[in-house]
Amino acid sequence: MDSVGLQALTSPVVLFFVLGLLAAVAKSDLEIPEAFAKAMSLYLMAAIGLKGGIEVAESGLDGTVLAALAAGIIAGFIMPLYAYWLLRGFGKLDRINAGAVAAHYGSISVVTFVTAVEIFEIQGNPPQGYMVAVMATMESPAILAGLLLARGGSSSGGQSTKELLHEVLFNASVVLLLGAFAIGWISGPSGFADVEPFFGAMFKGVLCLFLLDMGLIAARRMMDSRSLTWRLVVIAIGMPLLNGVIGTAMGAGIGLDTGSAAALGVLCASASYIAVPAAMRLALPEADPGIYLTMSLSITFPFNILINIGLIGALAAMLTGDGAATP
Amino acid sequence: MIETVVRKRIEVLTDQAQVKRITAAIDAVGITGWTVLPVSSGKGRDGRWREERVMGTDKNLVVTIASQENAQQLADSLAPILTSHGLLFTMWDVEVIRGERF
Repeated sequence: MDSVGLQALTSPVVLFFVLGLLAAVAKSDLEIPEAFAKAMSLYLMAAIGLKGGIEVAESGLDGTVLAALAAGIIAGFIMPLYAYWLLRGFGKLDRINAGAVAAHYGSISVVTFVTAVEIFEIQGNPPQGYMVAVMATMESPAILAGLLLARGGSSSGGQSTKELLHEVLFNASVVLLLGAFAIGWISGPSGFADVEPFFGAMFKGVLCLFLLDMGLIAARRMMDSRSLTWRLVVIAIGMPLLNGVIGTAMGAGIGLDTGSAAALGVLCASASYIAVPAAMRLALPEADPGIYLTMSLSITFPFNILINIGLIGALAAMLTGDGAATP
Repeated sequence: MIETVVRKRIEVLTDQAQVKRITAAIDAVGITGWTVLPVSSGKGRDGRWREERVMGTDKNLVVTIASQENAQQLADSLAPILTSHGLLFTMWDVEVIRGERF
């Protein structure tokens, strides 16, 4: 492995995640208090939203940004379709569970994105700030697509359409990401200077602790799992590989720079474990969280953090002709 | 000697996401009060669960006290979704002071 790849894998962010995995496997009593973990997730979303908004305030918007937004939204609607088909056919899941899992794989993981940004920065290919807006717009389309697939047009058993739309469009992640993005855009770099000690200097430290908690939860959930089959494990690794290639190729195709094309690839490859599970608990209570959360959090998330982000970075460098991230 | 009367104490264990649905059902049958309590972990037919607020998989206990008639109406309204929504519904007799409040 080259020094840049090794540097990415030995960054504190990734190593804290590995520590969490190992601590859980060793049955350590290490715990992050739930209220603190929730606060850290809100902090990370606010900070990444702010940073993205400030970068856009500096660089401005152009046609490339609109193309990236459109690509993200289209991917958010289309990815659940073939995920559902795979989960029903190869994965042998019923309609409800296949729809719920498909929604997770069409949506995105903020922490996977943030970790990828850290790694791409180490590799010399930081994504553009507007990719945060792309991320925020990719949260919701997959929830809608997954619910439509799971329900097959019927509304039995769930909440009213009004409540569902409210959850999809105004869930905490979307509101905080887009809200902080708008605040960063409006206030600009000079406004950010006042809050930089909190949202800037502490960011990587909080990310380390949050990933420690995610490592603990991912491994413990995996060890408690009763519902996973080898077919679902294959899909939980195959989907991020496939979606990562499709997303990165889309990014390169619409003319994004290496870091941004890789970031789009990571967004497509990532599976939600914050916004979508909350929506599924409300809208599809019959679906089994032992399936959808274990797949997205315990298999796909570690696979992306430890392996797939590096692969996507290398693919993006190859497709855009940039040698900086080539192993 | 303080006089007590018998009422039904009802507990519903539910996902955080479904709490509003339960409290709305309680309000709808005319029960005047309820309390939501956090719980930390447990084990059921589908395996272990623990409080995971980040993922929204945490559960709550909704507690209320009602007359026999209102308690039966609440049981009738929640019975169809007990299995599909993963609810645990229990009720039993308790003695309360100021029975006119329940």
